Amino acid sequence: MSSAISPRSRPSEPGLDRRSVLAGATAGLLVAALPARAATEPSPELAQLIARITEGAVPERARITLDIPALVENGNSVDTRILVESAMTEADHVRWIHLIAEKNPFPDMARFHLGPRAGRAEVATTLRLAASQTVTAVAALSGGGFVMTDADIVVTLSACIDGG
Amino acid sequence: MSFNARITMPAEARAGEILEIKVLTRHPMDRGGQSDGRGGTVPRKILNRLTATYAGDQVFRMDMHTGVAANPFVSFTTRAVATGDIVFEWREDGGATYTRTSRLTVT
Repeated sequence: MSSAISPRSRPSEPGLDRRSVLAGATAGLLVAALPARAATEPSPELAQLIARITEGAVPERARITLDIPALVENGNSVDTRILVESAMTEADHVRWIHLIAEKNPFPDMARFHLGPRAGRAEVATTLRLAASQTVTAVAALSGGGFVMTDADIVVTLSACIDGG
Repeated sequence: MSFNARITMPAEARAGEILEIKVLTRHPMDRGGQSDGRGGTVPRKILNRLTATYAGDQVFRMDMHTGVAANPFVSFTTRAVATGDIVFEWREDGGATYTRTSRLTVT
């Protein structure tokens, strides 16, 4: 009938077997890895940083893409590209794009000022990240609105680790 | 380590074409705050601004803080409007400025 290694030969008592322990541990790890906050709700500190640069306005989560690696080996130089969907005309263009790293010693990293002559609202740069954190990009539109997006980054080697 | 910049962009473009300009700068971007060994701290010395001027207007400006990497790379776009120089100017903490120009021929 069933051999010693077949699944049917496993003990049938309802105690903790190896497989269920492993499954439970994996599920636990997955839950622990999920960010504590809801995906669309920035932390209070980050919300404050965003409100400071948008002068209180709440940015919309749309039309902006932040291209940044999810796992960074070296936080001293992180390739980042930001693209905002915009016609870039005199009437409708992106005024600026601001990058925030909430856990850097100075969270404001850079601001790109663009105008209708840019043709396309696309910029790229290299950043320094001090820790694993959420990087946020906020763009100001000529109509007075703001759009934002963010990305969770895991940094293996932090920038700013040499005392300082 | 002295300042140097490498600007990569097409030498010529058709009018109305959007071109990508890539700028790689050699600069330590010293964020400051480290001990100088004599009880003080090293002052911050970074490039804090890059501007690009083309055909009479400033077409791009980037304000940089300590969150920008050493030897920063920057890429941006502009629409070709007229044959002329694109002037790049960096401003360093302490007031020093560095300027480079790159010629664009518009056909």
